[in-house]
Amino acid sequence: MAIGIKKVDSNITLTLWERMYAPEIIRGLYITMRHFTVNLWGLALEALGRRDKRKIMTVYYPEETLTPPPAYRGRPVLVRAENGLEKCVACGLCEVACPPKCIKITGGERENGDRYPLTYELDGGRCIFCGFCEEVCPKDAIVMSAEWRELCEYGRARMVYQKEALLYPQRNLQKRINLIRSRYFGVSRYRGKA
Amino acid sequence: MISPELIETAAKIIFVFALTLGFFAPVLGWVERKQSAVMQDRIGANRAGVFGFTVIGLLHSLADAIKLVFKEDFTPRGAEKALHTLAPVMAVIPALIAFAVIPFGGQYTLWGHRVNLVVADLDVGLLFVFAISSISTYGVVIAGWASNNNWSLLGGLRASAQMFSYEVAMGLTVIALVMYYQSLSLVEIVAKQENFWHWGIVWHWPAFLLFFSCAIAENKRVPFDAPEAESELVAGYFTEYSGMKFVMFWAAEFIEMVTIAGMCVALFLGGHHIPFVTQAGLAEALGAFGPNGAQVAAMLIGVGVFVFKLILLLALQMAVRWTLPRFRYDQIMKLGWKMILPLSLAWISLTGAAILAGVMPRP
Repeated sequence: MAIGIKKVDSNITLTLWERMYAPEIIRGLYITMRHFTVNLWGLALEALGRRDKRKIMTVYYPEETLTPPPAYRGRPVLVRAENGLEKCVACGLCEVACPPKCIKITGGERENGDRYPLTYELDGGRCIFCGFCEEVCPKDAIVMSAEWRELCEYGRARMVYQKEALLYPQRNLQKRINLIRSRYFGVSRYRGKA
Repeated sequence: MISPELIETAAKIIFVFALTLGFFAPVLGWVERKQSAVMQDRIGANRAGVFGFTVIGLLHSLADAIKLVFKEDFTPRGAEKALHTLAPVMAVIPALIAFAVIPFGGQYTLWGHRVNLVVADLDVGLLFVFAISSISTYGVVIAGWASNNNWSLLGGLRASAQMFSYEVAMGLTVIALVMYYQSLSLVEIVAKQENFWHWGIVWHWPAFLLFFSCAIAENKRVPFDAPEAESELVAGYFTEYSGMKFVMFWAAEFIEMVTIAGMCVALFLGGHHIPFVTQAGLAEALGAFGPNGAQVAAMLIGVGVFVFKLILLLALQMAVRWTLPRFRYDQIMKLGWKMILPLSLAWISLTGAAILAGVMPRP
């Protein structure tokens, strides 16, 4: 086949109204000015204390913060049950499942025979927030919290969380626990014992 | 020897400087940031503050000024030093001078002294504006040439062709108005717009649209900012400028915006006149202030109305700037020579025919 010029149909067929140019400019101006007035009105209402009426989505981080939805995977934490003890039984499944191998557990045993983690170490500098630990945990003992602020530190050593730093009261994590139960076990609106 | 005329002129010059350089240049810098932000569903600059008071971002202009004063004034190697320094001056001075013939109020008699609120009441004020604004082209072209930079040179080239083309069209758009008002003096043109039905925009709204687009092109603002064209030419003709020299180009752009708005107000929107209120009627309504007080009050109202119309047109220019994308260079030329120029010629013929036929009664 001989080399020829390929004509690209750029799909631009303007109507006479569009080719007159001025009406389309006025239409564009109408759109931008509509945004302008709506946003200005929203900012005025915000100054009067009606933040919810604002159409601008911008969140000014240090002053304003968002609460992430329960599906958000923040820093993994250990669940402290209502009786004050950790739910973890030191089975070591999370340790195995963890792709970057950031979890280290040494198990122990209480007088009544319950197993519990003597030490639980989670290296926040290596954690990739994948949520496998949470998925693999048979006791809902480690879950991804909504914590996302100020996780930075000046050194890697300071990002290694020990057991005490990881323990979170269960009532703060109930939404996430409900979510993962319905997601991983297919139990919707799970109302099991705490 | 200090005569009342000297004081009057000095006061008017100080007022014009305060209005353009002191008020509009920094405030337009703020408006440009803030209006664009709000139009684009953002919040915009609001961080600069003193003791926590940010005044909705107004202090950013101040912070910018302080930053730019202390910036290094850089001249690139191989640049034409003298011209490189002269170019920003040649851009900013014409912008300021052109405002001299724009009347920002009417004529008033204060304590037996006649005050005409225009810095220079020239009989050929309209020509003066065109003559002076065409000088600002040199500033841009010289800046592009003296910088020893490819982008600057291309920007200067584009500016020279663009500004020349649009000056032709811009000059032709006002000829219809000159025929209508039978005067080249801006003061006289404004005085003839006392009756609302004699405002330029009533009969000559096509000329207004053409003049306004030409003026924006003349000021090299979006959508006609091919000489600057950040995405193509870095910053165009002022790529190599920093510090206060850069501020001069920046200020020249804003002052020219004010001058364009002032020209449009004087030619099309009746200057300081309020619709359906005559000067005599205004003075009568303010009669309670006494003869001198009424004149002072009328003067303040006139200047206020002028500034209000100025702000409206500036807001319109800002809205256009943040609505439209940049034209391609050939589109600019096509629009200038093939559309605006014939349209303005057509409008001149139409106006002439209408005046001859007696359809368009002249003031």
